[in-house]
Amino acid sequence: MNYFQLFGIEISFDVDLSHLSQSYQALQKAVHPDRFAHASSQDQLLAVQKSAEINDAYQTLKQPLKRAEYILTLRGVDMPNEQQSFSDTSFLMQQMELREMLGDVKFADDIDSAFTHAQQVLAQEYQQLVDVMQQQIFENNTVTNALACDNLRKLKFYQKLNIELDRLEDSLFDD
Amino acid sequence: MAYSEKVIDHYENPRNVGSMDKNDPSVATGMVGAPACGDVMKLQLKISKDGIIEDAKFKTYGCGSAIASSSLVTEWVKGKSIEEAGKIKNTAIAEELALPPVKIHCSILAEDAIKAAIEDYKSKQS
Repeated sequence: MNYFQLFGIEISFDVDLSHLSQSYQALQKAVHPDRFAHASSQDQLLAVQKSAEINDAYQTLKQPLKRAEYILTLRGVDMPNEQQSFSDTSFLMQQMELREMLGDVKFADDIDSAFTHAQQVLAQEYQQLVDVMQQQIFENNTVTNALACDNLRKLKFYQKLNIELDRLEDSLFDD
Repeated sequence: MAYSEKVIDHYENPRNVGSMDKNDPSVATGMVGAPACGDVMKLQLKISKDGIIEDAKFKTYGCGSAIASSSLVTEWVKGKSIEEAGKIKNTAIAEELALPPVKIHCSILAEDAIKAAIEDYKSKQS
């Protein structure tokens, strides 16, 4: 049973998060240890395992990048090793510029607006790439699945940028 | 996780940080990234007409090990021919910096950056 089946939904990138969260709570309730207090130790163990699986499934489907990766894996798309270097020069040049933009925020005359600008640029580029990937996942053929996989790798660089953005926010406004 | 003294030294005093004009025909630019950690590395080599690396610069956004690996590589490649530089292995980088297993990918990134720069140079020459 895959994670989508576990939640009784069809395999799609388009997931209703509030519905997912409700199903998650209902499923966890059903395997709660209290319900198995008088059960055999084997059933107790099964309940704990099921609970862990439900949790993994929820964490995977809740986050867009993990969800995309999971769908592509289910389709048997050959995912490149995460450790493998990525060498799309123009994309990486742009990534470097975005990191420089973040690095320059603290030297700006108006730090607030420089930060807001950086935040908007990152959010917009991230969303654009997610939208493109979502369409590619939807089309579901050999070519688009490979392209989605490529965009997923690119999105991981944006994910890192978002972590840097949060860190920057803490360092700038945390006093 | 504790960094080795050599990593800390390169991290605190990185050698050859900077940029060269990527449109200069004698400048080779290698850009590589690691999706797993989001590290981005740029290595630039200034190459003489007889194929000797005269200067090297790097810019890396990443962890201490990634910065140290690229800093070390700029020191190592200077004065070498592009053939010799192309033979630098990540294992040598990892050994020199005493990188722990979880940071081996940083040394792979640095090796790949050299290869990407050499490829860029060859495509510029042809």
